[in-house]
This record gives sequence, C-alpha cells and structure tokens, in this order.
Amino acid sequence: MKFITDFLSTPAFIIGLVALLGLLALRKSGSDVVKGTIKTILGFLILQQGAGIIVNSLIPFSQLFENAFHLTGIIAEDNAIAAAVQTVLSKETSFILVFGFLINLLLARVTKMKYIFLTGHMMFSSAATYAIVLDLMGINGWTAIAIGSVIQGVTSVIFPALAQPFVRKVTGNDNVAFGFWGSSLIWMTGWLGGKLGNKSQSTEDLKISEKFDFLKEMSILMSIVMILVVGVTAIFADPQLLSQLSGGKSPILFIILTAATFVVGILVLLQGVRMFLAELIPAFKGISEKIVPGAIPALDVPIFYNFAPNATTIGFIMAMIGGVIATFVSSLTSVVVLPSVIGLFFMGAAAGVFGNAMGGRRGAIIAGLVLGFTYQMLVALAFPLVDLTKYGIAGLWFSSPDVIFVILLMKLAGLPFGK
Amino acid sequence: MYVITVCGMGFGTSLMLLMELQSIGKKHNIKVSGEALDMSSFKGKKADLIVASSEIAKTIDGSEIPVLSIKNILDKQEIEDKFLQFFNQNKKE
Repeated sequence: MKFITDFLSTPAFIIGLVALLGLLALRKSGSDVVKGTIKTILGFLILQQGAGIIVNSLIPFSQLFENAFHLTGIIAEDNAIAAAVQTVLSKETSFILVFGFLINLLLARVTKMKYIFLTGHMMFSSAATYAIVLDLMGINGWTAIAIGSVIQGVTSVIFPALAQPFVRKVTGNDNVAFGFWGSSLIWMTGWLGGKLGNKSQSTEDLKISEKFDFLKEMSILMSIVMILVVGVTAIFADPQLLSQLSGGKSPILFIILTAATFVVGILVLLQGVRMFLAELIPAFKGISEKIVPGAIPALDVPIFYNFAPNATTIGFIMAMIGGVIATFVSSLTSVVVLPSVIGLFFMGAAAGVFGNAMGGRRGAIIAGLVLGFTYQMLVALAFPLVDLTKYGIAGLWFSSPDVIFVILLMKLAGLPFGK
Repeated sequence: MYVITVCGMGFGTSLMLLMELQSIGKKHNIKVSGEALDMSSFKGKKADLIVASSEIAKTIDGSEIPVLSIKNILDKQEIEDKFLQFFNQNKKE
C-alpha cells in the first residue's frame, strides 16, 4: 500500500502512467508502449533536474541583485517554476493536466468552440500555476484538482476562441487555432498595430540582413543577455559579496559561469520537456481526433512565423527594446522584471506577424514594442499576487499573460471567501 | 525511414511536423519514425531526412543529411508533396 501511495506521489510516475494509458488507448505496439512510457518518465526526471539547476544558479544571482539595487529581480519563466514545485504539488499538477484536457475535449464536443489545446509545455505550466495559486489560497488535494481542471479546460477553448478572428486575418482560414498562453496579448497588440499602422506597406517587401539570424538560436541569445544582466549587476554589487559568492575566483569567470549555468538549466529543462511531450502530445492528439469530429487543433505560436518572416525579426527586436524599457520602468514597482528572453522572443515575433497582417510595417513595429513593454509590466504589476518563496523559489515568476489574467480572476473570486 | 524535424524549441512545430509526416507515411505505407529536436541539438544526429520550416531550414547549412524546407507548415498538401517527391527520388537510386 505504501508503495502505491509513494508511486502515485512521484510526478514522473503519474505522467508515465498517463502516457502508458494514452499509448494503450491508441493501440500502439508493445515496444512503442514500453519505449514511450520509459521516455516520458525519463523526460520528466530530466525536467526536474533542469529546474534544480536553474533555481540554484539564481540563488547567488538574486543575492547579488538585491545587494546591488536593493530591489528584487525576477525572470519570467513558467516551466522552471512548474518543475520546481513538483516535489509538493505533483498530484494536483498531473491530474489538472489530464482532467483539464478531458474537459477541453468535452467542451469541444458539445459547444461550437471546437478547439483542442495541444501546446503541451504550456498545459503543464498552467496546470502547475493553478495548483500553486489554489494551494496558496489554502485549497489542495481533490478540491484543487476539480477547480483547477475546470479552469484549465474552459480556458483551453476560450482563449483560442477569442484569438480566432485575428488568426483568420493571418492564416486566411479556420484550419488551425492559437494554442498559446500569450495569445490575448499578441492579438491585442496586433490589433493596436493595425489601428496605428498602414496595411499597404508590408514588412515582407523589406530586405532584412541575415547577419543577426544566429540570435534566433535561443541558447545563444539567452547566454548573451544573461551575461549582460549578471555582469551589470556585479558591477553595482558590493565587491566583497561578489568575491564571497565567487569563492575567490575571478569575477569575470564567475559572471560567465553563473549566466551559462542558468542557460544550461533551461536547456536541460527543455530537453526533458521535449522527451515527455514527444510521447504525450501524439497520444492527446490521437484521442481528440477520435472523440471530437471537426476538431480544430490549437497549436504553439511558431506556426504563424512563416506567414511573415521579416515581421518576426522586426517584432522580436522591438519586443526586446520594449522589454528593456519595462525593466527600467518596473524598478518603480515592488520588483524588477529582467529581460525574459524566451517570452519576448516567441511573443514578440508573433506580435510582429499579427501587427503586419493588420497594419503593415508600422503595425509590426508598434505591436512588437507594445508587447515587450506591456508583457514585462504585467509581470511586474501582478507579481504581488503570488508569493513563490514558500516553495523555495527566488528570482522567478510566471510568464504567460493569459494565465496571469486568470490568476487575477481567481484572486478576485477568492476575495468574498477571504482567500 | 528516420526523420528529424527541427524548430526553435524542439517540441512545438517540429512535433507537429513529425506527427504530420507519420500520418502521411501511414497513408502511403511508408514507415516513418524519428524525433523532434531544437536548433541546437540536431547537429551530429543520424537520420535519412531533416524536415523544417523554411525559416529554420535556411539556417541549416553544411548538413550531410538532405533537408526538406517547408514554406507553410500548416499546408498539409505541401508537406505531403515534398515528402513523397523525396521518397520516390530516393527509392530509384
């Protein structure tokens, strides 16, 4: 009995079990079932190791940052938080992920919103986010799973439905939907770009140098930004603390190693995500195709990039600028939001595409800039809503705008109950 | 045949592409297995084919493995046509 409860409180095994059931339901061959289940479990364990590296690399950095600027500095990164809380909230997270998906299927089956949300890493991070928010409100166990699953299921169709009129402007049809927890901010900034831009001058008529294409490789860009962030912080910090943290090593080496270790953590984490999603998502997709006729898959943000490649570059660069401005402006709030490269990159590029579809060059520039700024300011303003220190997490906060809007609604709904 | 699909993160559009290729394979009785990878980790891997969106494909150069560049990854017909063309050409050799 103890073995069973221990087994079910180990997140990797719960997710492994889900993959096993999914693969069996799809009548995969015996070898595929064994392979898929083991890879899912390994992937999940790798994910947790990655989160450990990230959290550890941010401890000395957070100390340094507070010493230098007398402010708390955070990076917006969902999956690291989600993986880091698995030691305490694994049951809630896994079941919200699974039941949320089933509610999504049910809603797609019975309503006109035929969307099936298939962006796995976001389904995982939002499931964990709702588990955290409910836990901090004093709700956990099956009650939390019930509430969290309903929220997850309902948002899985509502956000794609809200985005669809704008998606149509980009893709020209209803074959796919937008399954990404940043879709609302992207279509809102795209719409704004449309209002202020001029559709007749497209970004795609421009010739853009490919010199900066290497920045599209996440690990490179993230390393450069992190070295700059840690470096600038180290300059302003007390030299004594710096030499204490570096253990007497050269501060320059310490800066590069701290930044690189953070990036390594992200890469390890993503490798884990990749391994368990490669098994889970095809299973989810197969099941949805059987249960919901006419299902519209809601997919990850890069599906839009090819509609306007130049606009992605413009949107991303403008988002970085907007994000850096927000880093300075956010120091007026309770927290400094450091340039959060992954979010700025993926959302900024999409804002460029949506801005261009509705407002041409000027539209893409405005959409990217506004997205970068509002994205990070949203994180700064919402930061006091959820305190992650209980889970031993410092220097990180949630990064998905749609989910942050939902957190706000959850907190408002909890007010009458004093939670 | 073993196919590597590539995208920025290695689990978004690359996974979609791989699933699409597998269903095309099923339709035409071609056994397709493979993995979805990100831009940093596909190098040095062995495969019969790399498939990626044209944006990603243009950053892949010097690869010994043939690369299929897909203009519109939402266009199932384009993926099917290009994949079958590749498959038939290589069968003859």
